[in-house]
Amino acid sequence: MIKVEGLTIILKSFKLFNINLEINQGDFHYLLGPTGSGKTLILESIIGLHKPRKGKIWIEGKQVQNFSPEKREISYVPQDLALFPHMKVKENILYGIRARNLPLKDYEPYINDLISIMKLEGLLDRYPARLSGGEKKRVALLRGLASKPKLLLLDEPFTGLDPGIKFEIQQLLKAIHDSFRPTILCVTHDFEEAYSLADRITVFIDGKVEQVGTKEEIFLRPKSKKVAQFLGLRNIYRAEFLKRDENCQRHFWGLNGLLLSIPPDLYAGGDKEIDVFIRPEEVMILREGKPVKESLKKNIFEGEILDFIDKGGYRLINFQTKEGKVNFEINIPNYAFRNLELWKGKKVKIALRDESFWVLNNQLNVKEN
Amino acid sequence: MSFRGAMIGAAFGIFLFYLVLILSLFYFVGGKGFWEALLNPYTLYSIRLSLTAATLATFLAIIIALPSAYALSRFDFRGKDLIDAFLEIPLILSPIALGASFLVFFNTPLGDLIQNKGIFFVFEIPGIILAQFATVAGLATRLMKASLDEISPRYEAVARSLGSSPWQTFYLITLPLSFRGLLASVILSWAKAVGEFGATVTLAGAMPGKTETMPIAIFTALASANIEKAVILILVLVLLGIIALYGVRLTGKRFRYD
Repeated sequence: MIKVEGLTIILKSFKLFNINLEINQGDFHYLLGPTGSGKTLILESIIGLHKPRKGKIWIEGKQVQNFSPEKREISYVPQDLALFPHMKVKENILYGIRARNLPLKDYEPYINDLISIMKLEGLLDRYPARLSGGEKKRVALLRGLASKPKLLLLDEPFTGLDPGIKFEIQQLLKAIHDSFRPTILCVTHDFEEAYSLADRITVFIDGKVEQVGTKEEIFLRPKSKKVAQFLGLRNIYRAEFLKRDENCQRHFWGLNGLLLSIPPDLYAGGDKEIDVFIRPEEVMILREGKPVKESLKKNIFEGEILDFIDKGGYRLINFQTKEGKVNFEINIPNYAFRNLELWKGKKVKIALRDESFWVLNNQLNVKEN
Repeated sequence: MSFRGAMIGAAFGIFLFYLVLILSLFYFVGGKGFWEALLNPYTLYSIRLSLTAATLATFLAIIIALPSAYALSRFDFRGKDLIDAFLEIPLILSPIALGASFLVFFNTPLGDLIQNKGIFFVFEIPGIILAQFATVAGLATRLMKASLDEISPRYEAVARSLGSSPWQTFYLITLPLSFRGLLASVILSWAKAVGEFGATVTLAGAMPGKTETMPIAIFTALASANIEKAVILILVLVLLGIIALYGVRLTGKRFRYD
């Protein structure tokens, strides 16, 4: 377990207060946040390049915040990789083994496995200047992993790569992680990357940890509007409490004249206003003349298709309700788009499943924080 | 004239200016007095003295300049700006003023103590080395700092995280990566030390066969209207300068990894 507790860093104009992080052993943990939020500074403090004003850092039960970087057993792959230009690929890879005086014999099979997974066999005698961008990334990742550090820190490891190569290297890194389970803390602003690689994610916005959880928890159940907006989620609305039904099975909320019926187990209750997020992939467009399931009948709205965009695998539809003129973004697969025969200006009805609602910033979430 | 032509013309103009200056020296080369002047023991002595003193002074300067340059390049500490500004003093101060300051210093009780209990500097060979050291140490620090600034501290950060101590990191990463720039700094500092005149003559005097370095010998040769001797020494200095500059260019070609 890697633990950062109450980390406070003050460096020139940059100030971070009371940062807490927990990384389980063997996890691929992402520190996800917007550019310029101080993520790299946190990373550099964990390595020991900056002395934090306050706070503790535990690595496998040992407090290391007063250790110099070479004694922490944390490897680091910076954004610019910093491959040693005067050393061949092989010397770069073995640097950590030699610096720590580790017995090469014991590490050789493992390193050879890494070299073969990373497909670097033919490049070992080259200097970094003669490698492509993708090859450099692979060498840098391998150099970080070679000495089996207790923690590997990656700073935006996939920036500046072509999408194809980026995907390939992500897969290679995933393969290595699945085989050897190194503990990795990766910093990025790219939430798609975090979604595809992370075991757990810490969302870090405006100098604060906003949410920690699995990728499903973060992306499907963001705790705050801030997190949701950072993740690029749309369909976030402020709704006012109107009434509850007699059996307390449903709560009714007003949204610009629309009456939303939301199951009460999504929030603690007592709120006068909530921010509700409606998942675009859970909204149904109803087929004319077809009977509607009972469960869908609670939230049916009439309206018009204003526009749609082909997003490759799915269509993003901009729908506006007749009443209240509320805009919804709806994602539907291409085949459904064809079957429904949709066009710009077509009048349709949509149904919001219970699964499409998620309530942000409510008391229940605050308690969990 | 086109813009490009004007710019290139200016470059050639400055080149011709120096070329004519150097070629004019050859007007006096080859005469009877010329070879006599070259083989004169005092001339040979001043060449030997200049090379030895400059090499020693540069060596001493590097010992202090390299760690200072590293500190100024890599660390933030109180007084950094002040030190940085002080390094320029030998660059802007007249060399004679620098030499004169030493004379004044050695007349203070502390200077007196150093001379009586340690080494005698005034009008002695150590004075030459001290004067050259004073002129060169600031410059060497400046040049070396510039070369170290070019090397991203991230290399060092990664090496440290991989298990290298600060000393190992300096030796295995920083030094090889900045070697080209550091070597060029050493060569330029050495060339500057060889050519040092003002501070040296003020502190060490101009005694032929004792403290007369090449630049001082040129001055005294001119003062006694010995043109041949002056020319031969100027040519030796020019030759050394060209070798030094060529050495700097050569370091640019080797020790490159990109």
